[in-house]
Amino acid sequence: MSKRLLILLALLLIAAMALAACGGGKATQAPAQEKPAAEQKTEQAAPSGGGEECKVVFGAAVSLTGKYAKEGEYVKNGYELYVEEINKAGGIPVGDKKCKVELKIYDDESNADRSAQLVEKLITEDKVTFLLGPYGSGNTFATTAIAEKYKVPMVEANGAATKIFNRGFKYSFAVLSPAPNYLRGIIDMALDKDPNLKTVAIVIENGAFALEVAQGAKDYAEEKGLEVVYFDKYAKAAKDVSSLITAMKSKNPDIVLGAGHLQDTILVMKQSKDLGLSPKVFGFSVGPTSPEFRKALGKDADYVVGAAQWTPELKYQSDDIFGTPQHFTELYKAKYGEIPPYQAAESAAALIAYQKAIEAAGSLDKDKVRDALAALDYDSFYGKLKFNEQGMNVYKPMAVMQNYTDGNLYTVWPKEAAVKEFLYPFVPWDQR
Amino acid sequence: MSDKEKKKAPIRYSPLDGLFKGRQGVLLGLFALFALFLAIFPLLPFASGFWLNTLTLILLLAAMAIGWNFIGGYTGYAAFGNVAFFGIGAYGTGLSMIRLGLGFFPSLMIGAVAAMVFAILIGLPILRLKGHYFAIATVAIATAMGEIADSWTSFTGGAAGITLPFFSPIEWSGQFFYYMAFLLAMGGLLLTWFILNRKMGYSWVAIREDEDAANMMGINTTWAKVMAFALSALMAGLAGGIYAYWKTFVLAEEVFKIEYTLQMILAAVLGGTGTIFGPFIGAFIYYILITLLVFFLPVGQLHATILGVIIILVMVFTPKGLMDFLSGKKKLSVNALLENIRTYRV
Amino acid sequence: MESLQFTQGIVNAILLSGTLTLVAIGFSIVWGILNIINLAHGAFLMVGAYITYWLFTLYGVDPFLSLPISMAIMFLVGYAVQRYLINLVIRAPLLVTFLLTFAMEIVIINLATFFWKGDLRSVTPDYAGLGFTLGNVQIPYVRLAAFIISLILTGLLHVFMTYTKTGNAIRATGMDIDAARLQGVRIPQTYALTYALGTALAAGAGTLISISFPIDPTMGGAYTLRAFVICVLGGLGSIPGVMLGALLFSFIEVFSGIWFPSLKDAIALLVLVLVLIVRPSGIAGKAFYH
Repeated sequence: MSKRLLILLALLLIAAMALAACGGGKATQAPAQEKPAAEQKTEQAAPSGGGEECKVVFGAAVSLTGKYAKEGEYVKNGYELYVEEINKAGGIPVGDKKCKVELKIYDDESNADRSAQLVEKLITEDKVTFLLGPYGSGNTFATTAIAEKYKVPMVEANGAATKIFNRGFKYSFAVLSPAPNYLRGIIDMALDKDPNLKTVAIVIENGAFALEVAQGAKDYAEEKGLEVVYFDKYAKAAKDVSSLITAMKSKNPDIVLGAGHLQDTILVMKQSKDLGLSPKVFGFSVGPTSPEFRKALGKDADYVVGAAQWTPELKYQSDDIFGTPQHFTELYKAKYGEIPPYQAAESAAALIAYQKAIEAAGSLDKDKVRDALAALDYDSFYGKLKFNEQGMNVYKPMAVMQNYTDGNLYTVWPKEAAVKEFLYPFVPWDQR
Repeated sequence: MSDKEKKKAPIRYSPLDGLFKGRQGVLLGLFALFALFLAIFPLLPFASGFWLNTLTLILLLAAMAIGWNFIGGYTGYAAFGNVAFFGIGAYGTGLSMIRLGLGFFPSLMIGAVAAMVFAILIGLPILRLKGHYFAIATVAIATAMGEIADSWTSFTGGAAGITLPFFSPIEWSGQFFYYMAFLLAMGGLLLTWFILNRKMGYSWVAIREDEDAANMMGINTTWAKVMAFALSALMAGLAGGIYAYWKTFVLAEEVFKIEYTLQMILAAVLGGTGTIFGPFIGAFIYYILITLLVFFLPVGQLHATILGVIIILVMVFTPKGLMDFLSGKKKLSVNALLENIRTYRV
Repeated sequence: MESLQFTQGIVNAILLSGTLTLVAIGFSIVWGILNIINLAHGAFLMVGAYITYWLFTLYGVDPFLSLPISMAIMFLVGYAVQRYLINLVIRAPLLVTFLLTFAMEIVIINLATFFWKGDLRSVTPDYAGLGFTLGNVQIPYVRLAAFIISLILTGLLHVFMTYTKTGNAIRATGMDIDAARLQGVRIPQTYALTYALGTALAAGAGTLISISFPIDPTMGGAYTLRAFVICVLGGLGSIPGVMLGALLFSFIEVFSGIWFPSLKDAIALLVLVLVLIVRPSGIAGKAFYH
């Protein structure tokens, strides 16, 4: 009767072998994986093999389900839009010929474990040429470690926490401005409008990214002579922050800054209205610039400002495939039917960073491209792409967008890119 | 009829029942073969980093499921918070490495001991609770521990987590952690077998069948229960420590997530609670199922639904797990599948 | 602590306790009568919230008017689930029903995420966010209304359980299933009815919550846990007990939120463990419904 266990064990063995074979079958050179990257790159970086096939494969694990499903979709859209456009133009120039670009994307379910597992699969099973980042600081943190282990470059566009880059990694680069810079634009703008502002309250989602945003904002506010009267965190995925709102209200701050993500930002706004918290400026790190914010809050979104890595109205000029933010916006709108959120733009910018580095290196060799990335200094449709020695892009400023009373989002900062004036002050709830 | 059968044989999973006789010997041989396959797996040509990664995850899960089986399977206490021990193991190991500057192995020991001590401290009061109350007390403690770790910034690093150094040489880290997980899972199986041969094992089963009677027979039930809890904490704590160093970071929301508890219970239930090999085999079945769903079936975003439906089907038709059928205690038939419903419906 | 924070905290806690009573009472009935920890309770609550959201967004139905609709729909769903699924294994060991309802939760949340996306949504009628000030304490209309409606529903449930034949049958089943059967109570149907009542109350709570708080497919889990804690605090079985438990819990939650804002549930959960250890039957434990 124990035949059944026998059969099961045999099945397990077969299944394990089959799964393994399935992954390994594609590439008989599999044993090379554990060896230093030097041996791998010769077989990958072979654009010189005559005039025929040449392709670059970019791999990424992106959150298509789970809590970051929405943002993950923007990231995927950004990657795909670039790939479509560059292939229309014949591909990425490598040396004297052009390589078609391919994209391999897996769903990491908004789960860091899964993200790391999939990136390991992309490297060792799918043999992608280069890696792109996932969404969110947590997942990026986990995946950069894998990229470093296999010495495969990863240019990421959606992990802003500086702790990702404090580990001395050589193969990780971020095109977006780091977290501590997020709220600086809002503070500058508010003080520019009304130098008499005195006090700031900061509420923080208890997460790696938001904590860095908040600390950066606090330091900057104090540097500018503002008094930080409230500085406290709420639990991640909190469903009720009325206690913090009440506490802030009792301090009567001029400016309320929120460091967090879309969902909790909406919650803070909703409960501020419930409890009658009306500062002169309401500003957030993430949220107000997303169409979802307006959808969730309706007219209560009016006057709220949000930091943006990029906006469709910025006045950058570039010779990259998109040229200007406006052209990128047109292409994105034509393909996806909506105004591009900045997550899509920065994701596309990650590929532009690769393209320029590959062009400069004249090769698909992983180490040469890494060196070219480290030396990159390029003005793209997304702004400056340049990395400091840790791999962070500290050279690009943050923009600010405001939810206008006409229901649209406009860039209101930096001044030279502003399309509308910053509406000030925030009209108190009881006067609407 | 089935009711009567149950009453006649209250201890259905007499642990070593004929394990070395007849066909059971074949089973053991087969298992040894599978273990051998796992032992040499990293040397095989198709053992890529991805497969090492995946198998390491499975083996860690198996180790935790084996640990859960002590308290949930043999002793019959529905512990739903074992991830707390995983998290404490991870933090204990990580903090020892970072704050005390210790090497990995001493740190791992500190993490595991911390998990065990914690289990004993909370076990003494909460193991007096029964049924649902015990279950929810364990969930509550695990959730609270996670939140405390997440916000106690000065000690645990808070939501920013703690970052550990890489295993060196980095080229061999895949193999190193694979073998750590492999040894842990095998050690867990040996430990199960060892305990079941002792009085402790019989005490556990006696408690599961009837705690009052066990007490009256002179079994020190408190001691036995706390030991079961502490040993399951040991397994989870060791798994947590290995996991922390493997991932090179410890973050409360990762190491205290309730999914880990569920995974270990599912693995144990799928394979068969209260059996030596059940949790181990269950971990493989569970993970291969999940991997198949994620990578090879075009179900995309609905795989959680499919997983849920599978759990529902297992609960309705074969809640004792697959071991009953595999080890030949029951024949696989429509009748056997319906037996559960006949027994428990209203 | 400043006095505004304190008084506002008290008001917040009292208003919160109404909705939480409603959340916990359905959970408590199912637990008390069927002896099931219904881990899918929060998922049903979430579906109720979404029904309100969609009725409001697509057809402009006022969220308070959608209350009977969402309750009726979820009543039918709950009846079917109990009658044709849970009844099959209801007398099995605890682990089985625990995992069964948990799997139901996974399925419902996953399907909701698949069809409705994971976005945070809000029901925003014109009067959302309006309120009046009492002294300097802010009282939002919707939360006050939710509080009152919760109390009314709780009262109706009490009347139903005490004065109707069906209600008596449910209580009898909870007290002694064999005696109830002998009295001609049809057990499978009664069980299904009980569960349906539980899911309908969850859906009603979901509707009320959706007016005051943003909703998303994973919102339910937190409420399941709260329902459990409340049942333990208040003792299983009595409606006043649940109300007392909800009030106590609301105070713990609101004030631990003021003092330790980054801890979400830890304080309430540790209180729960303490109560369990000291008084395993709860503060006002009784075995069946009054």
